[in-house]
Amino acid sequence: MMTYSIETNVNGRPRAAEVTARDTLLDVLRDHWDVFEVKNGCEQGDCGVCTVILSGKAVNACLTLAVQANGKDVVTVKGIGSPKEPHLLQTKFVEHGAIQCGFCTPGMLTSAKVLLDQNPKANRQEIREAIAGNLCRCTGYKKIVDAIEAAAAKPES
Amino acid sequence: MDNTEYLRPSNLKELSQIMAGHKDRATVIAGGTNLIPQMRNGGKSPELIVDIGDIQDFSFIMEDDGFISIGAATTIAEIASSDIVSTFSSILASSARELGNPLIRNRATIGGNLANASPCADTALPLLALDAVIRILSPGDKTRDVVLNNFFHGYRFTDLGKGEIITRIIFPKPDDETTGSQIKIGLRNAAAISVASIAVMLTMEGKICRKARIAAGSVAPIPMRVSRVEQLLENQEISTTLLEQCKAIMKKEISPISDIRGSAEYRSYVTAVILERNIQRALS
Amino acid sequence: MIAKRADTESAKVDYRVIGKPLPRHDAWGKVYGETKYANDFKLPNMLYAKVLRSRYAAARLLSINTRDAEKLPGVVSVMTAKDVPNNETVTRFGQTHAVGGFEGLYRVLANKKIRFKGEAAVLVAAEKRDIAEKAMGLIKVEYEPLEGVFDPVAAMQPGAYQVGEDKSNIICSYKVRKGSIEEGFAHADVIVENTYQVPMVDHAYLEPESGVAWLDDDGVITIRAATQVIEHFRGVADVLGLPHNKVRVIAPMVGGGFGGKEDITVETYLALLVWKTGRPVSLTYTREESIIAHGKRHPYIMRYKTGATKDGKLVAMEAELISDAGGYVYLSPWVLLYSTVQATGPYDIAHVRVDTHTVLTNNTFCSANRGFGGPQPCFAYESQLDELAKQLNLSPLEIRKCNYLHTGDAMATGRVLEHRVETEQTAEKVLEALGPPSKPKSPPEKIGRGVASSMMSYGRMMFLHDTSRSFVSLDLDGSVTVRCGVQDIGGGQASSLAQIAAEILGVPLSDVNVYIGDSALTPLAGTTTATRQLYMSGNATLKAARVVRDNLLKKGAEILNTSPENLDLKDREIFIQNHRKDTLGLKKTDPECNVNYGGTRKAVVAVETCVDDDPDRVVALEDVVKACAAEGMPLFNVAQFNAPTRELIDFKTCQGKVFADFTFGTQAIEVSVDEETGKVTVLKIVSCYDVGQAINPLSAEGQLEGGALYGLGYGMMENVIMEKGITLSPTLAEYLIPTAVDAPDVETIMIESGGGVGPFGAKGIGEPSCVPTAPALANAVSDALGVRIYELPITPEKILRALGKI
Repeated sequence: MMTYSIETNVNGRPRAAEVTARDTLLDVLRDHWDVFEVKNGCEQGDCGVCTVILSGKAVNACLTLAVQANGKDVVTVKGIGSPKEPHLLQTKFVEHGAIQCGFCTPGMLTSAKVLLDQNPKANRQEIREAIAGNLCRCTGYKKIVDAIEAAAAKPES
Repeated sequence: MDNTEYLRPSNLKELSQIMAGHKDRATVIAGGTNLIPQMRNGGKSPELIVDIGDIQDFSFIMEDDGFISIGAATTIAEIASSDIVSTFSSILASSARELGNPLIRNRATIGGNLANASPCADTALPLLALDAVIRILSPGDKTRDVVLNNFFHGYRFTDLGKGEIITRIIFPKPDDETTGSQIKIGLRNAAAISVASIAVMLTMEGKICRKARIAAGSVAPIPMRVSRVEQLLENQEISTTLLEQCKAIMKKEISPISDIRGSAEYRSYVTAVILERNIQRALS
Repeated sequence: MIAKRADTESAKVDYRVIGKPLPRHDAWGKVYGETKYANDFKLPNMLYAKVLRSRYAAARLLSINTRDAEKLPGVVSVMTAKDVPNNETVTRFGQTHAVGGFEGLYRVLANKKIRFKGEAAVLVAAEKRDIAEKAMGLIKVEYEPLEGVFDPVAAMQPGAYQVGEDKSNIICSYKVRKGSIEEGFAHADVIVENTYQVPMVDHAYLEPESGVAWLDDDGVITIRAATQVIEHFRGVADVLGLPHNKVRVIAPMVGGGFGGKEDITVETYLALLVWKTGRPVSLTYTREESIIAHGKRHPYIMRYKTGATKDGKLVAMEAELISDAGGYVYLSPWVLLYSTVQATGPYDIAHVRVDTHTVLTNNTFCSANRGFGGPQPCFAYESQLDELAKQLNLSPLEIRKCNYLHTGDAMATGRVLEHRVETEQTAEKVLEALGPPSKPKSPPEKIGRGVASSMMSYGRMMFLHDTSRSFVSLDLDGSVTVRCGVQDIGGGQASSLAQIAAEILGVPLSDVNVYIGDSALTPLAGTTTATRQLYMSGNATLKAARVVRDNLLKKGAEILNTSPENLDLKDREIFIQNHRKDTLGLKKTDPECNVNYGGTRKAVVAVETCVDDDPDRVVALEDVVKACAAEGMPLFNVAQFNAPTRELIDFKTCQGKVFADFTFGTQAIEVSVDEETGKVTVLKIVSCYDVGQAINPLSAEGQLEGGALYGLGYGMMENVIMEKGITLSPTLAEYLIPTAVDAPDVETIMIESGGGVGPFGAKGIGEPSCVPTAPALANAVSDALGVRIYELPITPEKILRALGKI
């Protein structure tokens, strides 16, 4: 079996693993590094629950080979905010009732974070387009859009 | 046991060496948004994956000398947001914006979209309508150019030979008399595989159409130019009668199938509708 | 941001915590990515399981050769039907109460006749997932493909291919008879007759079926799985031939259920492999497995004939519903019963004849899906009404107002609606909220508006003798713990209980901890299905909290030298009523007021002490608690709430009371349809329901908004396409659900009549909220185009065909 050593930074923490060429970043995050906040919903880029920020771009971890992430920075929802330092988006999601089952939430927040970094004053239509790759079956999207819009309206905390 | 090999050359020289030695067993990856699902569902089992994602030479959008050049590993997101692309080829920009969803677009590349050669390939249609040319790097450092119209030979079967890589896509800057339009029909507003799509570029001289390029997707085994419709339009004034003739010819030229997304009759009908709509939009 | 809440004539109580749009206690864990779902869980020595499934929809299983798979290094166990102690058990559809009549065969692993593609045949457990996958490829299964039957109408015919072991494929049939249908039609001025078809659809929860199981220190098989029903520990124990208390099921936060995690999914497979290997085992379905192999919403063929007099009054409704149950019975009989009881909708009709059947075929089996048999007939009866309205020159609202059932009226089943019925009000409100019609942008676009009303039960069928239990306790410092077996699938099932306890015990919401979903450690609350949890576990929690409150007030009365009726309990204080200046509730709904997560931010809630702090009139809760503890007075209570019961009805007439109550609502949709491409753009959606009392308005709105999109998907794009039992849409690229750019904001209006049987007069809303969306869409499209689509989903192709363009 051919394996490759990879090293990445996950939320600023150096991580290493021995992987095969076919392992996806999603496989390695969950199976090797216990990064459970990145979820597995379809394994082929249709649902968005595995959204991470790779070198500054929001991507599906299931559509990235682990070897392709070698040497790159990976940011998950835990790198966006934490109990000690919640991100404004997280606070607004909670405040606006934008979470029901919560399974889409980490990916959704990740896409929203990148959106607001690039377009701090995004309007509702732009928000919807930015999260078009993150499916949600529970909320009907409205409160998610409300929360992201509320975070966009406030200056970055 | 998984013996798939992976190599990631950091420059053209390294790439060249790899392809020279491994041309028969190499599968190229840039983003991977097609290849990775294909590996997962058993469709593809590459022996050696050659990742060109680090090679700067393949990632650029340039305007010079009457041409627009786009590196094959340029992401769809970069194309969708590029000023150069929206200025000189708005139909490529709008097709790019409709490909997949924002997450996919951050990884998918224009070269990958073409090499995968799905009949639904979103970027293929505007590029066909723009008379694009593909530059191919062959083992032994040779390059050759292929007109995109001659690139698709059959269902998911292209002109790429063993060890060959698309390096860039080039098309002439349309002149001021040339306008275009594209429409994609899907079953929802994002992340929808197209049911039928058309891209159109028309060069007008007054009321006369001097040059027409019509590209159709999802209605044949390959993304195709509909040359018989182009011929009908060229050197004519585009009247309602002519448009009706174009629609009728179009239906004969395409060969849509019936599948889970729609029947052949539906595809045929709606292709004609969007042909007309595109032409009207291009003219207005 | 809060939905408009309509005033009703009943006195609106302003509670402290109930009815406030408070953040849920579980929301923080979810936004921080800390919440661990079923497969965010690893144990040392854990194995990975895979399930090998049938390649054919109908076949005889001739042999299974697992030798090569067993020899593969890293494979620890391979199991087939012969290894299962009780491979076939029979579910009698009771919970605490066995109900005669319907038995569903639960076959763990295939061993005779394959009844649908995707039927589980072999279990593999290996050290690594890829080894398990490789082992699957080494298993040799021999089949003899059989003819199969894939159309329920064909399956009903005598001599049809036998799907199961019985001669007839018809699982069961029901009838409703009221009045004389012939007389009814004789009096009708207009009769409309149509056949409607609705497809098989998937729940498409974002979290696929998954779980991890292990043996605990005492050898109890412990299963931590994404489930709506921890009570399946009994069914799993029966399969293994174990006492029920040797199997434990834990439900963590579930990533969406919608009825798809109501039947046993991974639990039995995990239990078998744990039992066999002694090691922990993890199993997660792929998305393809989830779509192909697990229970779906029943496709129906519905023939409706409806007659009305020229003033719009319905005089006769005849309906025949045929439901495709797929390969196994599961919950089909009950889904059909719901459809039968609700086949006439929220309307008063003099003469009714309903015949319903559910039939086995070799398609993927169908079972519970949000709405549980409600959405299918709603599509039919709401479409019928609009067709009648058109012929009679009445508006959709006028014809409905002519016929709505009101409080005190009787349904076609004879059941009197004794609780509040506000359907008419909901219809008026949604149409008002739609506002003036939008203007079409350019010629091929037509604008249309449609409305649809529905009624749907909440709470289980009364002959099931439903119960729920909850435990509420106060600790010495006055902090509150609730333990309840409720399963939380995203609807706030757990946080509602926290709100109820906080309200009754006079503490801030942040003082309440809730532990849920453990069949060994939390009192069993019953299934999270049938929109029953708020009603059942909510009432149980209310009951338990009240007992604790009564004890507190009793002790407080001693301390304050008065009697308990003079006291109230709020903001961690017990005080003599009317001597307190103001009710100082929670300061505001700012989440920063609540304990954030991991206790890093203490509640800064405005627990302002009483202006009047006379020790003869006020005593701190903590002091009362300590006094109770010193005397051994219990400050906990486990309460059981029993739903009112009825005996099993006669299915040949379906007369009588089947459900405790219903939720009534209406949705209105405005669309723009492109007549040349058939594309439908939804411009506006309004949803209005009488929710009784919104325990948490954010949660209640969330159900209305999410339910509308769930129903919209059903109306517009969802379709599990099956051809001869093979699923042609097995991934989310082919099975389409709405994305964020496929629908506008859903506008929600909640009526709070206080007329529900849930805690504080609440009604259930989880399922009712998705029932009328598809017919509202169909009515809007019909209004726009002048032609009607009789089959879901309403795709552009269907529209073009209806317009005669193809």
